[in-house]
Amino acid sequence: MDEYSVIGKRLPRIDAIEKATGTAKYLGDLKIPGMLYGKILRSPYAHAKILRVDTSKAESLKGVRAVVTGKDTQGLLLCVIPHLANKTPLAEDRVRFIGDEIAAVAADSEEIAEEALDLIEVEYEELPGVFDPLEAMKPGAVKIHEKGNVAIHISRAYGDVDKAFQESDYVFEDRFETQAQLHCCLEPHGCIVHFDRLGTLTVWITTQVPHPYRKMLADLLKMPMNKVRVIKVFMGGGFGGRFEMDPMEIIAYFLSRKAERPVRIINTQDEQFTTGRTRYPMVINIKTGVKKDGTMLAREVKVVTDNGAYNSHGITITMGVGTKCTYLWSLPNVRYEADVVFTNKVYGGAFRGYGNPQITFAIESQMDMISEKLGMDVKDLCLKNANYGGQVTCMGHKVTSCALKDCIEKAAETVGWKEKRRTQGDRGVGMASLMHTGGGVRLLFGDCNLSDVFIKMNNDGTIDLASGMAEIGQGSDTALAQIAAEELGIKVSDVNVITGDTWTTPQCLGAWGSRELFVAGNAAKKAALDLKQKLLEEASRMLGVGVEELVAKDRKVSVRANPEKSASIAQVATACYNRGRILAGRGCYDDPTTYIPDANTGYGGVPTYAFGTHAIEVEVDRKTGRVKVLNYVAVHDVGKVINPLLAEGQIEGAGLQGLGYALSEGLAWEEGIVLNPNFQDYRIFYINDTPRIKSVMIESGDPDGPYGAKGLGEPGMVPTAAAIANAIYDAVGVRIKSLPITPEKILMALKEKG
Amino acid sequence: MKRQLELKVNGLGYSLEVDPHRTLLEVIRDDLGLTGTKLGCGGGECGACTVILDGKAVKSCLMLALDARGKEVWTIEGLSRGQALHLLQQAFVERGAIQCGFCTSGMIMASKALLDENPRPSEQEVKDSLAGNLCRCTGYVKIIEAVLSVTNTEKR
Repeated sequence: MDEYSVIGKRLPRIDAIEKATGTAKYLGDLKIPGMLYGKILRSPYAHAKILRVDTSKAESLKGVRAVVTGKDTQGLLLCVIPHLANKTPLAEDRVRFIGDEIAAVAADSEEIAEEALDLIEVEYEELPGVFDPLEAMKPGAVKIHEKGNVAIHISRAYGDVDKAFQESDYVFEDRFETQAQLHCCLEPHGCIVHFDRLGTLTVWITTQVPHPYRKMLADLLKMPMNKVRVIKVFMGGGFGGRFEMDPMEIIAYFLSRKAERPVRIINTQDEQFTTGRTRYPMVINIKTGVKKDGTMLAREVKVVTDNGAYNSHGITITMGVGTKCTYLWSLPNVRYEADVVFTNKVYGGAFRGYGNPQITFAIESQMDMISEKLGMDVKDLCLKNANYGGQVTCMGHKVTSCALKDCIEKAAETVGWKEKRRTQGDRGVGMASLMHTGGGVRLLFGDCNLSDVFIKMNNDGTIDLASGMAEIGQGSDTALAQIAAEELGIKVSDVNVITGDTWTTPQCLGAWGSRELFVAGNAAKKAALDLKQKLLEEASRMLGVGVEELVAKDRKVSVRANPEKSASIAQVATACYNRGRILAGRGCYDDPTTYIPDANTGYGGVPTYAFGTHAIEVEVDRKTGRVKVLNYVAVHDVGKVINPLLAEGQIEGAGLQGLGYALSEGLAWEEGIVLNPNFQDYRIFYINDTPRIKSVMIESGDPDGPYGAKGLGEPGMVPTAAAIANAIYDAVGVRIKSLPITPEKILMALKEKG
Repeated sequence: MKRQLELKVNGLGYSLEVDPHRTLLEVIRDDLGLTGTKLGCGGGECGACTVILDGKAVKSCLMLALDARGKEVWTIEGLSRGQALHLLQQAFVERGAIQCGFCTSGMIMASKALLDENPRPSEQEVKDSLAGNLCRCTGYVKIIEAVLSVTNTEKR
């Protein structure tokens, strides 16, 4: 019997009605009195020196209120990891990709601002560009930054890798390539920035990380944090793309300072596609040693990351790949070498999975190949090497809850693995699994992984819950409301969730790393329990029984042994108020991870892991090379389902992004020019080419997660590309090792195979 | 040079003066303050700006406001009043067809135009009719379910 009233229930999200009626206000819906419209002049060259910028004509255009150039922003460098920063908000003397920011205008209308951009004169000296990271690494290559084209070299080893390869019966070596995928949030990125005359900075923005973002702004602009107010409004998607500061926001700040007015900048679609963040393309060489019986002994991974023109998340994502390649499947010995390399292209950023879709494509494609060579069903190979609860990985990560074996079995059973695998015809099934953090990670924003929640109870028993978490569509506000309602014995509709404004919400690291439910959920639970204690103490006075004998449920506090004896929560709250006491609760949660997995890197203490297995059935048209997805089964170890409706939504949505990553998406460039900067040419899946993704959830009950839950935001797209590649191989016997797997690649491979 | 425009939106008449180059979307959002209709790609590719014009779903970012003269426009704001919801809105809410919500207005208006014309569409017909409306969050599964659930009810 389910002991919970609200947890685990199929409830609509608490902001659904606002969104369904068009009343929810997004950034572009806001008008701040006096607001100006900003536009950015961008480089038409992939690599050039800037010899001269003359803005005088633009400045004298009627309706132009401010113009800024690199001279205004001089000395500032942007990056989510400050010590790696090398991006100037506006170019000072050099541009390094097509779209690099040079100057900006704020005017009374967008039309005037655009007209003014045409009046800015820029003299360039074009330089040769380098667009391929492997070319950029060669000696004598065009230098993009003074210190050279390699942003960082990473080298790590765990166990005795050489010895393990010697002891292996088979060694497999393969090379995989992945592409630049775009977040494709339907709402383009934008901001409204107001630096007022009293020196207060207000930023309305679509950010996933309001509090860290506020700190970044304060640090960068050398302002006291309490003078910086970041307001995250309703936002049209995130997926990692709004996990850092964009130059536009600093540009808007300088425009606002100059004009003494609020300034709005919103990307056009073309700007979004050509200058927004991307998933980092990687070249991955993977070498794996196994025994005849399938025991995996060693893995060596070498990665080259195409960093684009500037540092953003490229280094930490590539470090993260170094961690991720040590932990999927039980492996005692792993070596990792990587280079993060600058090219004259738009730079990447965080994107759902943070490097995991790339490395999992390689690991899981190769697992399929290994199993064939060993004459084993890949399912058995995976079961043999599966991660397990209590495991300590070779890098030192501790696995707590783990239902990976159940995920594999369930995925196989649901898709009809036994009947469909290795059969004749043009249909095939493939599977791939994943391991990913289920609760964020330490050391990205300081040595913590925290979230703080305040709750105050009103006289009528309703509550206001304030959290620094960012609702970005994933449903975190709803999960927090459910958790608080469960603990306090009230209804979800009794909970008013306040998030997004750094002036009214407590500290939180924000929405990334699948951490929302685990970290903020735990904080909400703690805050609710804190409040509940005070509520029960008051009720105990009223009812004349001990606190331990009381239960809060159905908006009432009642005596466990004698439920007739009760008081409504509203009565208790009012009584408390009339004694001059306030019912409030606070819960600050920092994840319990205290160990450092690798003392040398210090990187990556993770409180829990999410696991999953996807099994996909496809049909391949041998004449056209087109792949049709017939069946998609996604099984996830979620710890505990807090809300099936929202959890399914995460799996289905991520799965479809994964299909796009596998089959159709990717920026195409020629000499640094983006060739497909729109939804016509850059193809995400439409509703009419979408299969029904079947989600299955396994509850392993995490010891530290709220009610046993762990994160689910990112995992759903991690194994998709490999599962598709494996299914295509099962169908027509061709192995495609580069993404996306286009019809052309399949046709070429079929032709080669003969 | 601004031109006179008589526009009927959500059953209400408006007398406006607009520049000829302005789109229907711009006028709906900026002049009438009906911001439920969204500007996504601005090029007719994403469908976030979908409104119903004389019974048909149209992309208001591609249409000049002056071309809507004498026609009847319905936006998401006109679908229901107060706490009451249209059946489609109710279905989207209850079936989890909404995540970030940016595509939702357009998706619901496109669905309404479909159901007004074809009250009992098949799953394939729903998919074909909504092919011009992109969603990056949901994987569409629950959107399809929501629309189909309304086709199975008597009153719309």
